[in-house]
Parts: sequence; C-alpha cells; structure tokens
Amino acid sequence: MEYDPKLPADGINTTDENPLREFALLIAGLVGVAIALIAIAALAVDRLVPLVPPSLEARWFGGIAEAIAAEDPRSAPVQALVDRLVAHWDDAPYPFHVGVLDGEPDPNALALPGGAILVTSGLLEQVGSENELAQVLGHELGHFRDRDHLRGLGRGLAAQLVLGAIGGSGELVSGLSAFAGALAQRGFDRRQERQADAFGLALVQAEYGHVAGAGDFFARLAPSDHEVPAAGRRLARYLETHPSHEDRISALAAEAKANGWPTAGPLTPWVAPSTE
Amino acid sequence: MASAIEAAINLGVPLLLLAVAYFTGRRVERQHYASIRARESELRMLPAVTFRQIPSAWAVDGLGVVSGSCVVSVDYFKRFLAGLRTFVGGRVTSYETLLDRARREAILRCKEDARRRGFQAVVNLRIETTRVTRASNNSRATAGVEVLAFGTGLELRRDPR
Repeated sequence: MEYDPKLPADGINTTDENPLREFALLIAGLVGVAIALIAIAALAVDRLVPLVPPSLEARWFGGIAEAIAAEDPRSAPVQALVDRLVAHWDDAPYPFHVGVLDGEPDPNALALPGGAILVTSGLLEQVGSENELAQVLGHELGHFRDRDHLRGLGRGLAAQLVLGAIGGSGELVSGLSAFAGALAQRGFDRRQERQADAFGLALVQAEYGHVAGAGDFFARLAPSDHEVPAAGRRLARYLETHPSHEDRISALAAEAKANGWPTAGPLTPWVAPSTE
Repeated sequence: MASAIEAAINLGVPLLLLAVAYFTGRRVERQHYASIRARESELRMLPAVTFRQIPSAWAVDGLGVVSGSCVVSVDYFKRFLAGLRTFVGGRVTSYETLLDRARREAILRCKEDARRRGFQAVVNLRIETTRVTRASNNSRATAGVEVLAFGTGLELRRDPR
C-alpha cells in the first residue's frame, strides 16, 4: 500500500471573511447603542430638570454662587446692572450673584447653578456700552429662566455615566460615541441659545426703552468668521455650540422688529472697572 | 471648536494605529500561512500521529522525544476587534487564525525536529497551549500564546525483512 498522507485543510478553524466587515458592524452597533443611551439619558434629564424647584437649587448651590461673587471687586458694577435687569423679570427664582473670571482675555459669560453668573475679565474690558453688556447678562439670565444650566450639568453627568459604563471597550468606542453625542447635542444647544438671546433682548428693551447696542457684542466677534473658507465655516458652524454671530444678530433684529422695539437710541457708556 | 479638534485627534490616533495594524497584520498573516502550507507539503511524508502505542508491525530501531513550540501575537487591530466582540459574544474570529497558525507551526517545528534527528515518524503527538502575556484589561499588553507540540520520534527500519 502506498503511503499517501493528506494535508491539513484550510478554513475549518478559521474564516475567510474580511475582519473589516466585523469591525464596521461591531463599531456601528456599539456606538449606536451608546448614542441611544445618551439620548435617553438626556431626555430623562430634560424631564427631571423642571421638577427641581428653584428653592432647592438655591439651597444646594446658592452658597457657592455668593462665595464666587465676593472674590473680585470688579463684579460690583456688573452686579448692579444685573439687579436692574432682574427688576424687569417678575418671577425671578432666586437672587443672582456676579463673579469675575480673572485673566481670561476671551469675552464670555457663563450661567452656573444657584444663580451665579461668571463674566470674564476680557468681557468687562472689551464691551463698548452698558447696553451691549446688558444683552450678554440678559442672555445668561435667559439660561436661568429655561434652567439650561441644570440641563447642561445633568446631560454632562448622564453622558459621562454612559461613556464610563462602556469605557471598558477602549478609548476608540467611547471617543466615537462622545463625538457623535456631542454633535447631536449641538442642535439642542443652539435652540437654547436663541431663546436666551430673545429673553436678554426683552430685558434690554425693558431697561433702556430701546434695543440699540444689543447686537454689538456679536458684531464685535463676527469678523473672525470671515477669515475661514466657506466649507470650513460650514463645518465650524455645525461643531459650534452657539449659533453663528451673523445668525444671532439677524435673529435679534427680527425679534426687535416683531415686537416693534426701537433699534436706535442713546447708548449708556460703560467704564471697565479696575481691580483697585 | 477646540474640543472638536481635540476629539478628532483623540479619535484619529487610535484609528491610524488600527489602520496600520490592520495592513501589517494581514500581510504578516498571509506570509505565515503561505510558509505553513509550503512546509506542510514538504514534510507530508513524515507522519505525526496521536497513537499512544507503537503498532506491533513496525520495526523500531530508535526513538526519542521530539518537540516544537511557537509563540505568536495578534496585532493591535485583531486585539481591538476581539475586545469589541466580548461585548456581544460569538466567534472571536480574529483570535482563531492566531491559534490555528500557532498550532500548525508548532506541529511543523516538531516534525522538523524529528526529521533532523533522523526519525521517520512521530507518535503520541500532544499539543499544549499557554498564554505568555497578560491580555486582560491592560491595553498595553499584547495577546500572545505559546503552542507546544511534542511526541515520540521513531526511527523505523525501511525493510524489516
């Protein structure tokens, strides 16, 4: 008998299927699940936020807000302006406290839980009129009215929880999920910003009897947008948390027109406070 | 904007690593399989079998332990794929080729050992697998295994009569 050995067969213990297919399927599935979980968590937060009474929020965070405000003497004139604006807001939930973020050259302002409004030192130095600053502060007050500051906090926490839970699969999956989740979030963010703008404008009108100067802040920032090529600008706009400056200026103008608010009037000068 | 760029970098670096690992890993695997098939064909006349007892008809002139071992690692891409697979379960196909290659390579080396020492067959062939590097949870470690094939090499008389 002739010895005729058989060679081992291929394809029994292994598969010829391209691993990229499996990779794409698994990544898409996991990221999809992560986004769905984050979206559900965000919806739950949106439902829960109105249930948190402002009195409870003030009790939890109010102390921190006061402590922040007490730190910088430059906050006093801004605080005075906020108090004047809040006087036109009948159901303001709690007292507001202004703090200054020192050494921050970018003009910006934030709303924090408990009624704290943080303004950057760059904002105080760069605004051209009190009316302009009033619109920025009114915008932040609008976030308090819509409870956006709690929403942002809650969504951030919920997203962190979800990403932490699936984080074991490596940075790529959680990174992709965080990226996609952040993009999806942008639409919500921009709508909130528009509503806050409108509320700020109403306060400016109530305080000064006209809305002149309200859009100056965005006009000040707008030119930088034009240095970016059109395609890049479109992408940047999608990634941005806030609507574009031009959009906000025209939205403010439309809002003023719809309500019949005068867009011309005397501007109140603003003197940047000094640290002494 | 800054956070978007940061996110793009955070995603881009692992994606680039995965792409590099995918192409190099596939190339290495293809070459290894080509070599395995060629040598299996070359060594086919030297049988390696799992008999525990030497058939009484065989005339044995000499014997000895022969062995061959092989240590193989998966690439970053395959390890990542296996990590994703642990979420949903199922065949970890990216590790299957690793073990298939390691097993066949170890048997080939065992046969090679037998041939160099003048044996014509290997009986009582056994295969052992050992993990040589820790792969669990630590993303820095690689998933490598050692497969050891050993058996008894036999020197047979060509013509017993």
